[in-house]
Amino acid sequence: MTDIASAATIGATVDSRPVVRRRKKRITGRSIAVIVFLTICALFFCVPLYVVLTTSLKTMDEIRQGNIFALPQVWTLEAWRFAWFEACSGINCDGLRVGFWNSVLILIPSLILSIALSIVTGYALALWDVRWAGTFLFLMFMCAFVPFQIIMYPLIAMTRSIGVYGTIWGVAVVHAVLAMPVLVLIFRNYYKDIPQEIMNAAIMDSGSFWRIFFEIILPMSGNILIVVLILQITSIWNDYLIGVTFGGFNTQPMTVNLANMVTVSTGTASYNVDMAAALLTAIPPLLIYFLVGKFFVAGITAGAIKG
Amino acid sequence: MTIRWTRIAPQLALSPALAVTMVAFIGSILWTIYLSLTRSRRVPDYEIDWTEWSRQYARLFNDDGWTIALWNLITLGIGSALAIVFGFILAAMIDREKRGESFFRTVFLYPLAVSLIVTGVAWRWILNPDMGLEATMQRWGFEGVSFNWLAQGDTAMYAIILASVWQSAGFYMALMIAGLKSINSEIWSAARLDGVGLWRLYIEIIIPMMKFTFLTCAILLSLGVIKAFDIVLAMTNGGPGQSTWVPAYFVINALSQKQNLGYASAAAVMMLIITAVVFLPLVLLTAWQARRRNAA
Repeated sequence: MTDIASAATIGATVDSRPVVRRRKKRITGRSIAVIVFLTICALFFCVPLYVVLTTSLKTMDEIRQGNIFALPQVWTLEAWRFAWFEACSGINCDGLRVGFWNSVLILIPSLILSIALSIVTGYALALWDVRWAGTFLFLMFMCAFVPFQIIMYPLIAMTRSIGVYGTIWGVAVVHAVLAMPVLVLIFRNYYKDIPQEIMNAAIMDSGSFWRIFFEIILPMSGNILIVVLILQITSIWNDYLIGVTFGGFNTQPMTVNLANMVTVSTGTASYNVDMAAALLTAIPPLLIYFLVGKFFVAGITAGAIKG
Repeated sequence: MTIRWTRIAPQLALSPALAVTMVAFIGSILWTIYLSLTRSRRVPDYEIDWTEWSRQYARLFNDDGWTIALWNLITLGIGSALAIVFGFILAAMIDREKRGESFFRTVFLYPLAVSLIVTGVAWRWILNPDMGLEATMQRWGFEGVSFNWLAQGDTAMYAIILASVWQSAGFYMALMIAGLKSINSEIWSAARLDGVGLWRLYIEIIIPMMKFTFLTCAILLSLGVIKAFDIVLAMTNGGPGQSTWVPAYFVINALSQKQNLGYASAAAVMMLIITAVVFLPLVLLTAWQARRRNAA
C-alpha cells in the first residue's frame, strides 16, 4: 500500500546510481536540434524570472512605456526598498518585512513540531513490532490524500478551543498536522531498510526504545533529515492557505502579505513594487534550491504525494 | 520490566500520531460530513432535519458557481496534463543528449521552488494587457496578438493552465528522468541493431515500460489539480465573475465570504468524493502494476 510513496522515492534513489558513461560522440545534426529545442524551452522557463527581475528594477514611468522585455534605462532599487519597508498590505503599511519575520517565526516551531512528531512515528512504525502498525500505516497513507478543505473547519474550531487560533502557534500546529502523514511515510520508508539484526542486537544490549532512537537511529538519519528539512522549509514558506486561514491579523506569513499587497492594492498599481515583493518572497526558497538543489529534488520527489 | 517496556514504549511513542490521525483527520472528516447535513450558517447548528438532510447538496447541484467549478476542474485537469507530456519530452531529450543535463534540469525545475502565489503574480503581470506581453508585441508590430486572457471569462482558465504548466513541467521531467534511467540501457543498442526507428522505440517500447512512472505522475497531477487554490487566487481571484472558480476555491469562498458552514461542508465533502473517485482506481492500478512487476 505504500507503493506510491516508494514509487515516489525512486526519484531520490535512482539519482545516486552511477551514470553509464558513453563514449564521446561527434555532434550530430540531431544533437544540435535537441540542444536548440532544449535551449528554447529553457528560455521559456527563464522569461518570467527575467521579466519580474527587470520590472522590479524599473521606475513606473518606464514600465508604462510598455516594453516588458527591455532592460531598465535607469536601474533603481527604490521598488525593493518600498516593498520591504512601506508597502501596504490591508491597512498595515509597514512593508513586507512584517510578513518575512512572521514567516520565520512560523517556520521554526512548525519545523520542530512536524519533524519531531513524524520521525518518532516513522521509527516506531518501521522498526518496532506494534500489532496495529499495518492498519495505522494504511490510514495514514489515506490521510495523505485528503484535501485540506474537508478538515479545515474542524481544525479552526479545535485550534480556537485550545486558544491558538490566530497565533503563530496555531499556524505551526496545523502545519505539523498536515505534514505528518507524508513525513511519516518518508521516515518509515527510510528506516524499514535497517536490518532486523541490528535492531535485535540493540535490544539485547538493553537498549530501550528511546536510547536506540537517540544513540543509533538519530545519528544515522543525517541524509533523510536534510531532505525532509528542505522539503518542509520550502513548503511551509510557500504555503498560503494555512497561513491565511490560521494566521491572525498580525501574524500572517509573507505569502499572505504579498497576496494582499497585490490583489487589494488601492489606488494605482505599482508593478515594480509588486514584482520586488514577489521576488523577496521567492528568494529564500530559490536560494535553497540553487545551493542544495540535490536535496531539494530528493525531498520534492519523496514528498510528492503532498502535492 | 525491560521486556514490558519494549512493548509499551513504541505504542506510547505512536500515540500522538494516532491521536492526530483520529482527531485531526478522521474525526474532522466525520465532523464535516455531519455539518454538511445540517442547516448551519455562520455558527454550527447540530440539528439534522432528516426529512431534508440533503438540502445543502441539492442547493449545491443547482448552484451555477459549483457547475462552473466542476467544469473548470476538468479543463484544468486536461490542460495540466500537458505538463506531463511536456515533462516527458524534456526528459527524453535530456536523457538522450546528456550534454548540459544538470544545467537544463536546474533551469526546468526552479519554478517548483517558488510559491504559487509568486508564480501567479508574475504571470498576471506578464499577461497585463496595457504594459505586459500584449503591449510589447503590439509595439513590435504584431498588431493582431492578444494576450488579454485574464480579462475574459472564456480564456482566463488558459492563463491559469499556462502558469501551472510552467510551474510543474520540471517536476514531471524529474520523475520521468528517474523513470528513464531505470530502463535497461541495452534496449537502446538492441533497438539500433534491430533497426527500430526512434519514434517507434519510444512509442512502442519505452512508454509502455514506463507505465508505472506515468501512473505516478497522473496521480500526483490529479492531486495537484483538485487542490489548486493558490494559483487561482493569485491570478484571477476567481474572476472575472465566477469564471475561474474551482472546487477548492468554492469551498473557501463559501466559508469565508458567504459564511455558510453547512454549504461549504457539503462542497468539501464533494471534493473528498471526487478525490476518492479519481484516486482509488489510480492507486489500485498502481498497486496492481507494482505487484505484477514484482512477480515478473
